[in-house]
Amino acid sequence: MNALDEKLNRFTKYKISEQTLRKFIDYLKQQAPVFAPHHNGEASYSYECVENSAEVVLSYPRTMQPLKKYFLPPREVLLNFNIKDNTFSKPEIIEETRIFFAVHSYEMASLKRLDYSFTQGHVESNYVSRRKYAIFVGISYTPDESHFSKSVGIDVEETEGFDLFLLPVGDGYFLLEITDTGKRLVEGFPGLAAPDTTEIKTEPLQFKSKIKYHHNRLPAVFDHVYKSKVWDKYAEICVGCGTCNLLCSTCYCFDIRDEVDLDAEHGTRTRYWDGCMLNTFAEVAGGENFRGSLARRTRHRLYRKFKYITAKSEMLHCVGCGRCSHFCPVGISMTDIVNDLITDYEEKQNKEKI
Amino acid sequence: MSKPRVAFFDFTSCEGCQLNKLNLENDLLSLLELVDIVEFREAMDDKAENYDVAFIEGSISTPSCVKRIYDIRRRAGVLVSLGSCAVLGGVNAMKNLHPADWVQEAVYGDDKYLFPSIPVQPVSAYVKVDYEIRGCPMSTPEFLHVLKSIVLGRKPEIFDHAVCVECKLHENECVLDKGMFCLGPVSRAGCEAICPENGQYCTGCRGLISNANVGGAIHMLKRHGFSEQEAKKKLQMYSSLNKLINEAECRHA
Repeated sequence: MNALDEKLNRFTKYKISEQTLRKFIDYLKQQAPVFAPHHNGEASYSYECVENSAEVVLSYPRTMQPLKKYFLPPREVLLNFNIKDNTFSKPEIIEETRIFFAVHSYEMASLKRLDYSFTQGHVESNYVSRRKYAIFVGISYTPDESHFSKSVGIDVEETEGFDLFLLPVGDGYFLLEITDTGKRLVEGFPGLAAPDTTEIKTEPLQFKSKIKYHHNRLPAVFDHVYKSKVWDKYAEICVGCGTCNLLCSTCYCFDIRDEVDLDAEHGTRTRYWDGCMLNTFAEVAGGENFRGSLARRTRHRLYRKFKYITAKSEMLHCVGCGRCSHFCPVGISMTDIVNDLITDYEEKQNKEKI
Repeated sequence: MSKPRVAFFDFTSCEGCQLNKLNLENDLLSLLELVDIVEFREAMDDKAENYDVAFIEGSISTPSCVKRIYDIRRRAGVLVSLGSCAVLGGVNAMKNLHPADWVQEAVYGDDKYLFPSIPVQPVSAYVKVDYEIRGCPMSTPEFLHVLKSIVLGRKPEIFDHAVCVECKLHENECVLDKGMFCLGPVSRAGCEAICPENGQYCTGCRGLISNANVGGAIHMLKRHGFSEQEAKKKLQMYSSLNKLINEAECRHA
């Protein structure tokens, strides 16, 4: 038995059919609002608040926006102000229990990274308030051509951060109790038989997208590729639309805009997701832009994932969800860039040996 | 402080942007609390000698347009171009792609000598433009934002990022992925991605983002099954005066 199976087999688990699982969602809805993947258009998925448990999608490649949208909303009013009285008020953030259902392991890993980013220095209190009582029910998935989370050290069956975890087995699922919170949720649900004692044996999943090096070696590669030609190669086809930033599950940059109402008195300060691939991101007063070219922006984006925050947090800030690759309109793949950089790095190393 | 005197002028255009302002309805009265409208042909008969803010709709396409825009600039404190025709030349500018004689004949036939015409240019080709409001038609929230900013004495924030950003913020399914054409990845946002959100594709009515990678955009559209010719033609619909498009070469077969 491998280490992963050994870990999974330590948890108490129940055999649950899909039908009962949907009843379990209904049960969870009675405890707290439940958010889960839904169909959104022809071949797109998004997390939505569950109205009807029959509409929850259990098998999906990835949602468009990551789960962070519930903790760092795409648009958020930070302040309401009055420029005549010179006063302001903060909208109250309700600290409530919310259940996030059928979440993939890379998504959970990305929240761990956001937790890190938002609790360094000045704590981002809105994020922390929204995050505090969140409950997570994980589910494993079949990697598609863009997933590469294994290459950044995150297993499909990684249970860290989850309260419950679902593993497909036969025509149903194993429901694993990971935390005490998860255990309490399961205990209150009447539809389950006694714990199942069958041994879990996971099949090694084949990822179609892979990074050539072990993830531990990636920060070292990034020590040597700052001036690589690879950046120019991808900048030539990149159109700078910012999709990779906006859908990234660990990107957290935002912009803030003030808008005054027509009464020229009241107004709101709103925060929006921003991205370092966009034209005005590194623009300063006077119109100077510190990262004018797409090559520099692409480099900055990747360094933020594999080096800058990694050096401080000891976590790669790419979780291999494959959103940037899958949703890129020109088809630039994160693993292609990293693998090209590795080739460049190797060539450089060889030259130095001679 | 007296209210700023605001005027609206139309040049070569469909006047849709002006009409769009009259559609503000709920906000019109509050707007009139902020400013005095002193000239607005679409809505009133009065004329004024000078204006604190002049909004210009439409492109410059005749010798008389040139005279008029110089005159307006002299009388105006702040000049704002409004809508794609004024900012980019817009759809009108497509005529520049054809011989002038042929265009005049097609439109006016034998009477073409009665209507002198010059190549279409945006307002900024003739006079200094302080702010630009893009869109075909211009978006009313953006118009209000600019007007409020001018009244409050702050610089309006005009976006220079792609429509993709707004689609992603709204979590719209990508129209390119659905097999449709789309210029969203290189076109300016500010419209709240209204077309993709309603099942249409982005035609790039706000023009391209600054320093757009047009070669990359053509490569992108080819990747989604569209020909280089179609890509260029559609890019030229609103942005035919954008040099980047004419210079662009798709380096990736």
